[in-house]
Amino acid sequence: MLESRIRDLLLAARNSARKKGINAELSLHREKSSLIRLGNSSVALSTFEELTRLGVSVQDGRKVGSFSLTADITSQEQLQSALAQAHENCKAALPKNYDPIFGTVEEAVDDSTGYDPALENLAPEAKTKLCAGVVKALKPKGSYDFSGSWSSGSAEMYYISTANDNEAYRRLTDSRFVMVLKEQNRKWELSVERTAKRTGTFTAEDVAAEFAALLPMYEKNEGFKTDIGRQRVMFGPQAIAELVMLAIWGGFFGRWFEEKRAYTSSMKSGDKLFSEAVTITDDPTHPDVFGMPFDFNGKIRRSFSLVEKGIFRGVLYDSLTAARYKRQPTGHDLENWDIVLATGDGPAGIESGRKLAADALYIPHLHYIHLPDPTKGMFTCSSRFNAMRLEKGEFTAPLFSTRVTDTSPNVFSNVVAIAPDSVTVNVSSTYGQREPTAMSVPEYLVCDNVRITDVADSF
Amino acid sequence: MAMKTEAIGSIIKAQFERMLSAGCSFADARFYDEDRYQRVVLYDGNLESNTSRYERGIGVRVLKDGAWGFAATANLEAIPACFDRALANARAAAQLLGFQKDMGPAQTIKGRYRPPVERDPFEVPLAEKLEFLKGIDTRLQDKTVAHRYVGATFQRRRVNYQNSEGTEVDKWVLNTFGNMMVMTPDKQGRTQRRSLELYGKGTGTRGYEWLTDPDWFSGHAERIKQELAQIVAAEPLPPGKRDVILLPGQGFLQVHETIGHALELDRILGYELSYAGGSHVRPEMIGKLRYGSEKLNCRSGVTDNSPGTFGYDDEGSAQRDYMLIDKGILVGVLSCRADLAEANAKAGRTIVKQSGTATRACSFYRSPIDRMTNINIDPGNDGTLEDIIKATKDGVILDVPVSWSIGSNREHFHFGCEIAWEVKDGKRTKVYKNPTYQGHTLEFWGSLDMVGDQSTWELRQVPNCGKGEPNQVMELGHGIPVMRFRSVQTGEKE
Repeated sequence: MLESRIRDLLLAARNSARKKGINAELSLHREKSSLIRLGNSSVALSTFEELTRLGVSVQDGRKVGSFSLTADITSQEQLQSALAQAHENCKAALPKNYDPIFGTVEEAVDDSTGYDPALENLAPEAKTKLCAGVVKALKPKGSYDFSGSWSSGSAEMYYISTANDNEAYRRLTDSRFVMVLKEQNRKWELSVERTAKRTGTFTAEDVAAEFAALLPMYEKNEGFKTDIGRQRVMFGPQAIAELVMLAIWGGFFGRWFEEKRAYTSSMKSGDKLFSEAVTITDDPTHPDVFGMPFDFNGKIRRSFSLVEKGIFRGVLYDSLTAARYKRQPTGHDLENWDIVLATGDGPAGIESGRKLAADALYIPHLHYIHLPDPTKGMFTCSSRFNAMRLEKGEFTAPLFSTRVTDTSPNVFSNVVAIAPDSVTVNVSSTYGQREPTAMSVPEYLVCDNVRITDVADSF
Repeated sequence: MAMKTEAIGSIIKAQFERMLSAGCSFADARFYDEDRYQRVVLYDGNLESNTSRYERGIGVRVLKDGAWGFAATANLEAIPACFDRALANARAAAQLLGFQKDMGPAQTIKGRYRPPVERDPFEVPLAEKLEFLKGIDTRLQDKTVAHRYVGATFQRRRVNYQNSEGTEVDKWVLNTFGNMMVMTPDKQGRTQRRSLELYGKGTGTRGYEWLTDPDWFSGHAERIKQELAQIVAAEPLPPGKRDVILLPGQGFLQVHETIGHALELDRILGYELSYAGGSHVRPEMIGKLRYGSEKLNCRSGVTDNSPGTFGYDDEGSAQRDYMLIDKGILVGVLSCRADLAEANAKAGRTIVKQSGTATRACSFYRSPIDRMTNINIDPGNDGTLEDIIKATKDGVILDVPVSWSIGSNREHFHFGCEIAWEVKDGKRTKVYKNPTYQGHTLEFWGSLDMVGDQSTWELRQVPNCGKGEPNQVMELGHGIPVMRFRSVQTGEKE
């Protein structure tokens, strides 16, 4: 549970609001984050941030106002000031034309199962040492530069409201390691990534071995400029995670669905949407994801089916959208979902997968994906690290930067094979606060008729 | 009891002494006495965002044995510990170091910057802001409009910067952003939209008065509503190669993605490879590379009224105005002091003589990185928009991004826009919907053949440029004239 010094202050603030007849929700986010940033085979920057953020939302009938504070929380005076500011915002607010859903913690939650103190305190020296091991293993073999980053740390999330006495608390740790190897003359880039919940899950030798396995293809072969048109593509884990998120953005947000802006807007639960090999859930109970047990409207998060064997099951409603369209919220008042694309019955391992794919493009990473037309599920992006040409099941050349512009329904309706093994991909953003987010996706996904719209003359 | 600003300044100075004694070659601190943010959004008339934020804290950097360590805390009682943590981080970083960073010649600057403001947005009552936005929302209502969006964002930061060279800068940042949008589905069910972001001419003041000046925001409500109706009734842009005329509302994105990011020195040196990406530019190309036609003149500008004008960067350097691309030749990059030596060493000659004064952080808890400032295209001598239209036989005018996707080294791009106007034989003929265009950066800028005069030049604000690890969102500006490019691939073949 949250440190008693702060918890007591928050509970006292809640009780104080209750006595004054103020409907208030209070949330707290604490993080310890550290990151090393690699550039030119050096640690270019090593950072550490220890931050506490308080969020207060006040609701009065159809009026809502909120306020947040990033500061060391040490006194009831700070909390009362934040509460007063949110209350002022609420009083000045325009009333909505619907009844907003006031947050209520459905059940008490106290979850630290994903917390590893060793990972929270992973020293920058340990990170530097591992990276140095990779550089040492590979640098003498070529004119390479290594870049990358390694973020690790802990996040605590706490949520209460005046609606009841329940408290929801979560503490977890996570790590995302990305190392990029760039050849300076030909400018190709290879990447190795690792996601972890605990320390000790990978070594310099593992990382170096993965680079070493990729290197010969790039060292010995010129870049391949593929044809524009529809082709078979074998996607790797990071690309699959991006494709699944795009499919969800374009088709499964309640707001867009209700406003006929989603490619699923004309569908109802039970309609066929994708290939029957495709099952997508938001499942906080899945062992491979970080598993957020509650949301910031107080809902207990449970496994939620979006697509089951290709059948459209339902869309995600945050409390605001649910209130507006008179639906039930689905536990999605938060950033860090737990999306799982189910594994399939394709042959095990990348090698077997590529034999099955035969003649195809292998694209394990995508860059700068965007949605020109959500109503069709249209996306556009370009290939990035580790992309290769496949001929007769063998990698034969590295791939020049290749643009894919297609639709989610097309890609996920033309599935040839899905790997039987899964990979966890850390998709956390650190734009605001530390929000550990991971997806579980198959090791590969082979699709036919993927639309290639442009090819560069370089990597 | 909140610690007083003056007391914090004294504590910081003492830490510099301590860090230098510990062998650091440089240390600096950014104390955010206040970082305030407010966002209000009406969606279909409902107040969907009504939030404000306050942050206060300190971020410190130390340079030890050529390596950077950074630490940040909101606990102002723990400033010495924060410096210790930064020092420990630098020591760890120094264990894997290729090129030793150094700040170059020391400089001592005493500076103060205040943005031009008549009315501080944080002194304007929320009710007044909501009444203003509600008025625009009412004007956007129409039976042809399915959904309406109107919002405003305000930022105010009071930052005290100090470093171990004796530099001290007292800087305020104040930004006002506004945006409105109308949306409705077309006959094919695709949601079409038309929008406007608060813009200007780079002059005047940047307080609440800018938002309420009808010339730059509310006065366009009727126009975007009418144009949405035209888009909904229009045919999709047929695919094909044709001339493209970019209005500043689209031109800013073209500059941002294919010039601005590509010229950030940290990207060129490879420090962003694992996240935002690299650059097609290599250090040795600076001073030699033909980036575009002779019509292309691009600068890192100090524009009077822009979020990309900040007085002093986050190394304390006074912001400079300098060319990035001169008559099509790449001559400068966006940089900080600490990367110059490395860039020059990599190029094998002196390619950057002084800092580009472009290093900034988005908050006290993020370390400064190379950021765009005002990446402006100088006005040309090809007349007004009408003059450029008259000179065009077969083309389209494009405005406002809907989607954007760019190669990791910024070498190729695909952009979608809200609206296109066909130009045939020197006349604007009809509207097209779903316009897209794509190209390769150097080839595209090489095809620039007309640049509008000052009458076409507009300052566009960017409130949300994402970059860096840990991630940072930064605000900046682009001053852009109307530009024409020849024979560009437009539209989608399927």
